[in-house]
Amino acid sequence: MLKIVIDGKEVEVEEGLSVLELAEKIGVKIPTLCYHPAVSAYGACRVCIVEVIEKGLSKLTTSCTCPVESGIEVKTNSEKVKKTRKLIVEMLLARCPDAKIIQDLAKQLHVEKTRAPQKNENCILCGLCMRICREIIGVDAIGFANRGHKRKVTTPFEIQSDVCLGCGACAFVCPTGAIKIEDVEDKRKIDMWHTELGKVKCERCGRYFFPESAVEYVKRKSLQDVDGFLKLCPDCRKRVLANKLVCGW
Amino acid sequence: MKRVLLVNWEKCIGCRTCEMICSLLNEERCNPTEARITVIKFEEKGADFPVYCQNCEAPACEAICPAKAIYKDDITEAVLVDIRRCIGCRMCILACPIGGLSFHPARKEIIKCDLCKGDPACVKYCPEGALEVVSLDTIGVKRRRENIRKFSSYLDMMTGGKE
Repeated sequence: MLKIVIDGKEVEVEEGLSVLELAEKIGVKIPTLCYHPAVSAYGACRVCIVEVIEKGLSKLTTSCTCPVESGIEVKTNSEKVKKTRKLIVEMLLARCPDAKIIQDLAKQLHVEKTRAPQKNENCILCGLCMRICREIIGVDAIGFANRGHKRKVTTPFEIQSDVCLGCGACAFVCPTGAIKIEDVEDKRKIDMWHTELGKVKCERCGRYFFPESAVEYVKRKSLQDVDGFLKLCPDCRKRVLANKLVCGW
Repeated sequence: MKRVLLVNWEKCIGCRTCEMICSLLNEERCNPTEARITVIKFEEKGADFPVYCQNCEAPACEAICPAKAIYKDDITEAVLVDIRRCIGCRMCILACPIGGLSFHPARKEIIKCDLCKGDPACVKYCPEGALEVVSLDTIGVKRRRENIRKFSSYLDMMTGGKE
């Protein structure tokens, strides 16, 4: 067990946690955009910045990437933190003026308008979509391309990805909602990834329900026999089950 | 002992009260599409069958979940989704053989039967008693008793009530 001081409160914690996870555990709120408990911390959005005082020396660091160590003191809302966080949010607001989550964050921190020249982006380059795709789904369909102000998340060579499952996890976790998934009849389109995937047609009702590659992924990963139901949409699976039980197998 | 939600479909009259109460208590509005239980109707056979997540012993959704967001509750043994860990890939929906999970379009969350923390509301509100919560060790006895009852009524039918 480690003893640390957080916002003047002394707490005992087990090893292996980050400052952000600890704060969440004891109910101290630290705003964050790019943190997700399922993937490794990346420290990209910088919003979760805190002041860490170690051996009398104070430093500002992102709480998601800062491991809890014995004897440190953490201030999550000191003047220094507030000032820096305000600047960070101001810059994020300049990049993504239309993102709702950033507008809300700016309002919370009393950032009225941004002094930096405005851009019209939605992506804050936190790389959460990329981390989810690589670490959790395990297909690595997207990644960062270019450097500096040209940096962006995209598929290799900015062409149709041949490994993308079209599962939509990237769009689900994106904090600013920059990734749009469009479902049109028998296709799933992800414009940001230049990808268009065909969907599987339900054998029973004829509805298109999931991208073919996602169905293949389940077939590959499943331990049980899935051939019997994978061609059916979830609604028809219910009907088939009920039919079997009512009319006999 | 593990308790399971059991359905006697012969008793179900297809009134969809279970869907309504499930949606009302979980989503605070009566919308059957947001319910965790669905009554499948067979109009021409006159049969109705409520379908819901079976909270399986070895769930396919738990096995497929790449983010390990699906787990079994220690007390109720219901299969639950950790919304914070969920990455929204919807593989669980695809891997479930009976369509027990669904995706809430507005809240962007996986929804499934969580047995209402061990005390399902659908059981309480079912007017015909078609749904019940049973301890796993009494199911066998229940089924046997039910089969004997059916067999004896069948015998009665064959013999015209005579010995």
